[in-house]
Amino acid sequence: MTTMKNPSRPRPSWFRRFWAIVRYEMLWNIRKKKFIGIILAVFVIATLVLLVPVIGSRTSGVPITKNPDYAITFGGNAFVFLLLAIGTAMNSFSSEFESGTIVPLVSKPVSRTMIFLGKLFGAFVLLLISYLVLYGYITVASVAVYGSQNNLQFMPLIVIGSLLSTFIWVGLLFAVGSISKNTIVTVIVAISLFLALLIAGPIVTVYSGPSQSLNYLPGTGATGTLIVGQNATSINAGTDNVGTNLVNYALYPSANVSFYKTNLTAITVNETALPNGGLLYTESTGSIATISVAVGCAYTAAFLAVAWIAFKRSQILE
Amino acid sequence: MDNAIETTDLTKCFGSLTAVNKLNLKVEKNTIHGFLGPNGAGKTTTIKMIVGLLRPNSGSVKVLGKEVHVDDADSRLNIGYMSELPKFPKHLKGTELLDIYGRMYGMAQQERAAQIPKLIELVGLKGRENDLIGKYSKGMQQRIGIAQALLSNPELVVLDEPSIGLDPVGMVEVRELVKTISKEGMTVFLSSHLLFEVEQLCDHVTIVNTGSIVASDRLENISHQLGPAMIHVELVDLSATVIAAVKKLPFVSGTWRTGSTLMVQVNTYSDIRAQVSQAVTGAGGVIVGMSQKNANLEDIFIQLVTKDQGGKPQ
Repeated sequence: MTTMKNPSRPRPSWFRRFWAIVRYEMLWNIRKKKFIGIILAVFVIATLVLLVPVIGSRTSGVPITKNPDYAITFGGNAFVFLLLAIGTAMNSFSSEFESGTIVPLVSKPVSRTMIFLGKLFGAFVLLLISYLVLYGYITVASVAVYGSQNNLQFMPLIVIGSLLSTFIWVGLLFAVGSISKNTIVTVIVAISLFLALLIAGPIVTVYSGPSQSLNYLPGTGATGTLIVGQNATSINAGTDNVGTNLVNYALYPSANVSFYKTNLTAITVNETALPNGGLLYTESTGSIATISVAVGCAYTAAFLAVAWIAFKRSQILE
Repeated sequence: MDNAIETTDLTKCFGSLTAVNKLNLKVEKNTIHGFLGPNGAGKTTTIKMIVGLLRPNSGSVKVLGKEVHVDDADSRLNIGYMSELPKFPKHLKGTELLDIYGRMYGMAQQERAAQIPKLIELVGLKGRENDLIGKYSKGMQQRIGIAQALLSNPELVVLDEPSIGLDPVGMVEVRELVKTISKEGMTVFLSSHLLFEVEQLCDHVTIVNTGSIVASDRLENISHQLGPAMIHVELVDLSATVIAAVKKLPFVSGTWRTGSTLMVQVNTYSDIRAQVSQAVTGAGGVIVGMSQKNANLEDIFIQLVTKDQGGKPQ
């Protein structure tokens, strides 16, 4: 042994210790087979979505219609948000308890709040990198398939919106993982909630119209129609579409979105769209963007607060 | 003398079970202090409270003069800890693990670069330091566990069963390592179920049972509690008559049985095996072996724990 007895070690800076945990968390994630698999799956999904019109065009001989707004309207896939959140956060806490690695970690001079924030920031950095690469890939591919693209200066809003949409699920996964200390339970709860919201939204819409209350739940929210000039575009106002809502506001700050009640008695077998049962309400693009951001932030903050309290109070028994 | 560890009425309950009951432990600085007790005695729970992993229900822990709290990260700056059968992230390499933990202690890059290779060599992991921990054997995980406990040159090293999982050569190496770090001024507090290991290493011993201390002193002082010698009498069949006959001998201060072996504590330094033999055979016992030896830690441990469990000397 060539070490010497150390006098009392000086207190290291908070940031130094915090960064060590970020490093620990990121190494943990990028070497996780599940994370790598999920990232690959997301890129495969994106590639398939982009390739379908190319294949259709090749087989039918009909050239692909140019779409200069393809890239900017691509953002907002609830399933991708859930997948990336699961890949990044499903075992950030639960696996530490399951494998027993929490014991050496919390015996180091790092507080539980520091560990929590380090893991959270690690997840943020990984998701940010994932989305930058994903949307960069989509932009390049959109230009290749659909020709030159408009409004690409607003792509950062899509990235920010996607991050917020994903962080609702990250918060939920952190909370369930910290409480249950079980990865399988964590994933099952997240997927179950996702499916429940996915099913509940259309049912509520059919029977009571695109109620404003849908915008206060995580998910697609109420579906309305944005009319700009001669063009009518269907948009979802919920937390899964924060990025698109921000872009709509940036592009059309004074436009309104109309929400129509469904006319159940007018539904026929051959209808492809639900019949219009009258205007329920209208809302400005600014209001929709604000509500989706505020609701997304509120759910994220609430889930993360639960996760933080549960982690701080957890006993290391193994 | 300054204490490295001092607990005051330390108590921890899990539901209706009191795992640690008003424990008052003192560990002097610059000593190797053994922590013994049967399974479920509360050793690991006590250690977890000492290193700030568990909140006590009542009482307090002071390490190096400062109160330890679960939420106070700084109180762990001068403690190196290895848990029983430690588990480390499988996706990290040995050196990466030590590097990240070193950063958590606030070690500068130069300090880490100097310390990590030394520790890797010291614990016998040279050549495997860049393998993922997931590929390490149980013994290698134990070795990296010891390395991370020594990483910051802490003033206090707490080792929970450091020899578990090691082969005989590894066990000897760990004992040598503990002696070395103690010589360099670190206080070592270790729990072990290997009594001979504690006997070889420790100058102080605390024995706990059912969450309370049954003995805590320098090893030689504890030995004196048992008198100058113990006689072990191995019989074909140990009957109550034999025990009663031996107890009547004037120099016998206590007897304990383990199976068909009778341990006789005597209060004389003379060789009195002949008298014991006479008493046993006179009571109808058939002796198959007999030895006289000074009380070792195993004798002390069995006596103290048996007494504490309500078993009185036979």
